[in-house]
Amino acid sequence: MLETSERVFDNFEQSFKDFQEATDLTKPDKATKLASQIDILSLTRDGLTYLYQKSGALDKAGIFEGTAWNEPDKLVPYLVKGTLKVGHPSSSFEILSELRLLAYANGDYQSPRISAEDAQSFLEEVMVHNLEFALKEPTEETRNVMSERELKKSFNLFGFIVSEIDLDGVYQKLAEEIKLICAQRPIVTRKARELIRLVDERFDTSGDTKTDKQVRLYINAINAPSEGSKQHTSIEDYLVFLQNADIKTLTAEADAFGYYMNATGLVSKYHPLLLKKLVQDHPQLVPNSLDLNDRGIAEWEKFHELVSTLIMEIVSPDNCQCIYGLSRMLGKNLFSRRPVRVGLENLRKIKLNAQVEKRIIKSLIHPDVDVSALQYLLGGTIKVLGQPLGVGQGNNPTCQSARGISMWSQHAPAKLIDMIITVATQNNLVMRFENRDLTSNLLLKGLLEKLDYNLDPVSVVLVPHLDKIYNEMMKLSSGRGEDPHKWVNPLMYGQWIQLSFASCYDYLSNSILDYDGFIRVFYAAFHPSYNGGREMVYPNPVGIFITSNKGDMVGFHAISLLRIDKDKHGEVRAYFLNPNNEGRQDWGQEIKPSVHGHGEKPGESSLPINQFSARVYAFHYNHLDIKGFLQNVPASELAEVSELAKSSWGKSYFWNQQSKIW
Amino acid sequence: MGWSLPVIESMEKLGKPYVVVSFPDFEPYAQENNIPFVSYQLDEWSDSSNSLDLFEKLKAFDVDVAVPLYEETVEWAGALNSIYRGDPRVLNRAFLFRNKAMMKRKALIGGLRVGLFEEVYNKEGVKAFMKRLNQANLQLDGEEDSWVHIKPFAAAGTVGHRLLKSMADIDEKCEDGDFPCLAESHLPGREFSCEAFINKGKVRFLNITEYVHLGYSNFIPEGHYLKTKRDLILKHVQKLVDIFGIEYGMIHPEWFLTENDELNFGETACRIPGGHILELASKSWGFDALAAFVLCHDPNITEEELDEIFPDKDHWPENYHGNVMIYPQKRQFSKLEIPEELNNEPYFVEHTLVPPLSSQKLSGDRAGFGNHFGTINFKGEDPDRMTELLLHYETVDFYV
Repeated sequence: MLETSERVFDNFEQSFKDFQEATDLTKPDKATKLASQIDILSLTRDGLTYLYQKSGALDKAGIFEGTAWNEPDKLVPYLVKGTLKVGHPSSSFEILSELRLLAYANGDYQSPRISAEDAQSFLEEVMVHNLEFALKEPTEETRNVMSERELKKSFNLFGFIVSEIDLDGVYQKLAEEIKLICAQRPIVTRKARELIRLVDERFDTSGDTKTDKQVRLYINAINAPSEGSKQHTSIEDYLVFLQNADIKTLTAEADAFGYYMNATGLVSKYHPLLLKKLVQDHPQLVPNSLDLNDRGIAEWEKFHELVSTLIMEIVSPDNCQCIYGLSRMLGKNLFSRRPVRVGLENLRKIKLNAQVEKRIIKSLIHPDVDVSALQYLLGGTIKVLGQPLGVGQGNNPTCQSARGISMWSQHAPAKLIDMIITVATQNNLVMRFENRDLTSNLLLKGLLEKLDYNLDPVSVVLVPHLDKIYNEMMKLSSGRGEDPHKWVNPLMYGQWIQLSFASCYDYLSNSILDYDGFIRVFYAAFHPSYNGGREMVYPNPVGIFITSNKGDMVGFHAISLLRIDKDKHGEVRAYFLNPNNEGRQDWGQEIKPSVHGHGEKPGESSLPINQFSARVYAFHYNHLDIKGFLQNVPASELAEVSELAKSSWGKSYFWNQQSKIW
Repeated sequence: MGWSLPVIESMEKLGKPYVVVSFPDFEPYAQENNIPFVSYQLDEWSDSSNSLDLFEKLKAFDVDVAVPLYEETVEWAGALNSIYRGDPRVLNRAFLFRNKAMMKRKALIGGLRVGLFEEVYNKEGVKAFMKRLNQANLQLDGEEDSWVHIKPFAAAGTVGHRLLKSMADIDEKCEDGDFPCLAESHLPGREFSCEAFINKGKVRFLNITEYVHLGYSNFIPEGHYLKTKRDLILKHVQKLVDIFGIEYGMIHPEWFLTENDELNFGETACRIPGGHILELASKSWGFDALAAFVLCHDPNITEEELDEIFPDKDHWPENYHGNVMIYPQKRQFSKLEIPEELNNEPYFVEHTLVPPLSSQKLSGDRAGFGNHFGTINFKGEDPDRMTELLLHYETVDFYV
């Protein structure tokens, strides 16, 4: 983190002095200037520390007078996030307000208006509502409305609060958070690991409550899944232990590692050591350590040579997470596909382009010195192939690219590997669009301004190119009087995408046209009660309206609709991939996608179909297939969806009731 | 006369008795904050709203001097001061500041260099003026026309100011509402302004403001080059004071300095200048320029009080203070974004930028340079670096 220079502190002191010396008349004006100093100070850790120390004095001097923050006992924790999103100067005042409450909670300052206990519980509430900032993983909506600088301020504030506050009151909430993040089985586990480390450091988890036990599962999965790793806490000690272990001990170790990995989706840094030892000396125990199902065991037996080679070549303590991906690949019989095997063999042999190598290395935080960028890329490829629904866009506006990687991984794994090879060696990619070859290196900037490197290696390699090509395709097909996605999606993602395209937004009349008809088509195509009971075969690239937790229109987002099914209570739900790293969102109107507990596979989000439909603005389908089903859809269902749409994002549009021929 | 919180604050700090005269809109605030206040409809002149009536109202406060803070209160203050000083010419002098043609004429008679100027009443008048100017400049066929500026007789700063570079420009840019107004030839030279604090007819303190880009940015004190001309400038300012017969107050003349060290007089005002100039002056010179502005108007002030309020005669500021006013560059924008480079800029002090209302669009009409969205203040030791910074940040887009 950048340090704040002395000059900034001097400027602050001067401004603060001006503020104190001002009469009530010009205090608001001086406060504005002071706020611009607070703005800068809140960008760095030492700046925040400094502000924290000054917060009581600033409060006493009346910085909050005449503002919404003046009575700390009347503040509402729920509103903090909204204020942070508004940006400077509101966010700067908000940050200062949190800091003074922290000072009151910790007893560093006393306030006549709020007790330490109340300040503490206020901040706990604030924490619970703002974990996205504490974990530096903003939702799509947040990223849409906040500038990079404002995000940095909020990240910084919550990082500071987390380190300075007594967290006891949020223990359960954090435990739940860990469980739900891991339930989504993300490829990039940094956020989960940070949270687990935080809970491990800050709480006594040795008790017997349900929460303690649940949290320990995750802590153990990372730190010490087995007896051996509990007793030998350094990599070197554990290696020595493995060399001397007998077969019984090794079996117990393998079972333990396998169990924890499968239960949490997290791989411990000792796991690679054990796995390599087993591959070399006791291959029959490899399935135990990967917790393979019957299909997986058969796959391992058939392809153990290649798999062994890959394991010996790739896995390392820092590159450990790919072991989970490998076990999933084996469980899905991916190695039985010749193109996948050949692709992986080819990938092993390539020479990385220097730029690509740099990008991969930049995405690693503590890379193992003896593991090359190519090995990380191989590990990354295995992760993506094993966990197609674990792909995320990171802190980047590239949902389309993430959606593509996920889709190819599921339905065209060899094509994906091929693409990785091309880009990794050439730092270039060519895709064809309507008789035109688009070469990513020759294209101008895409949506991406600056890549956030908190991504898996495959995304780090591919996204910059996919983003540019996608953007170019959008440009080439704009101005045709219809949503460009109609042409772009099938050509970008491939022949799995159906060619008919429905959008509720009409370009020519700039309105929402025949919304009921639009939803009727959607239900006739996908709702199992009305479409003749057919299931979806391939993912469907769907455009949705992102709405705030008040239901207000915020922006557009790309997701993949994966399947529509009844859950165990008989409710028809849409299951989809939200390439945003966090599937759980709050879109207002009680529409909150869930990731767990409603029949979701790891990585899927789900919503009741009416709620989902009420956020869709465009999807692909086959117009020949819906003939005969359109009339099945009852008007009452359409009315329900229409009502949800009209009273949320629909308020931002003109509605045209004319019928349209779909 | 006029509502200004910073001036009220300075008066409070000074401990001098005062009363604010301004529009009724400000009365509730004044009452709430115990600010002595006389509510007056300053934009109305009638049997019941005039200086004699106001004079009566102010008697209760024992007023003996009126200080105009804004362009629109200059005549009011002039009228009142005429009564207080028993000198009807004080009012006429106020008119001098409010009519740019009269102002120029006075300067010309007194021997200051001014451009060619004339009152014009319509587009034809401007064309005739430009034609005569072309003749005087010995224009040959095919050569460009001489530049002409038109400005309203009485408006602050750059409001209503148009630069006409050709006959065609006159048709395109002039509107019927512009007339009558003043037309004048384009003055060559480097433009800057002064703030001259005057008491008993003498310039007591002279601030020179370096205009980096008129309407956008300025800094104080003047940079290296202008500093070498300080004596010359002071001489001309004192001459202006003498010609106009100004005894008390502060004037804010604009000048053009040519390469031959000749000073052309542009225009002058006698109220608080825009662009936060007095704020910058206070910071750089280390004195309360607003308090000084008010005190200078007082014929009864003592020499000691004057000496106390102004910086020492041989004092030269350690730091240059400058600001740049930020206008959005796009027509539509939704976010305020402070660029990272500004945090790391050693000269940066503070800003007063505010975020736009959600998806704000700029409206078409802008008076003068329009309302800026806030100011960025800089402070540093090198005037050249200051110039560079101010020019740079004027082009940075803070609103996206």
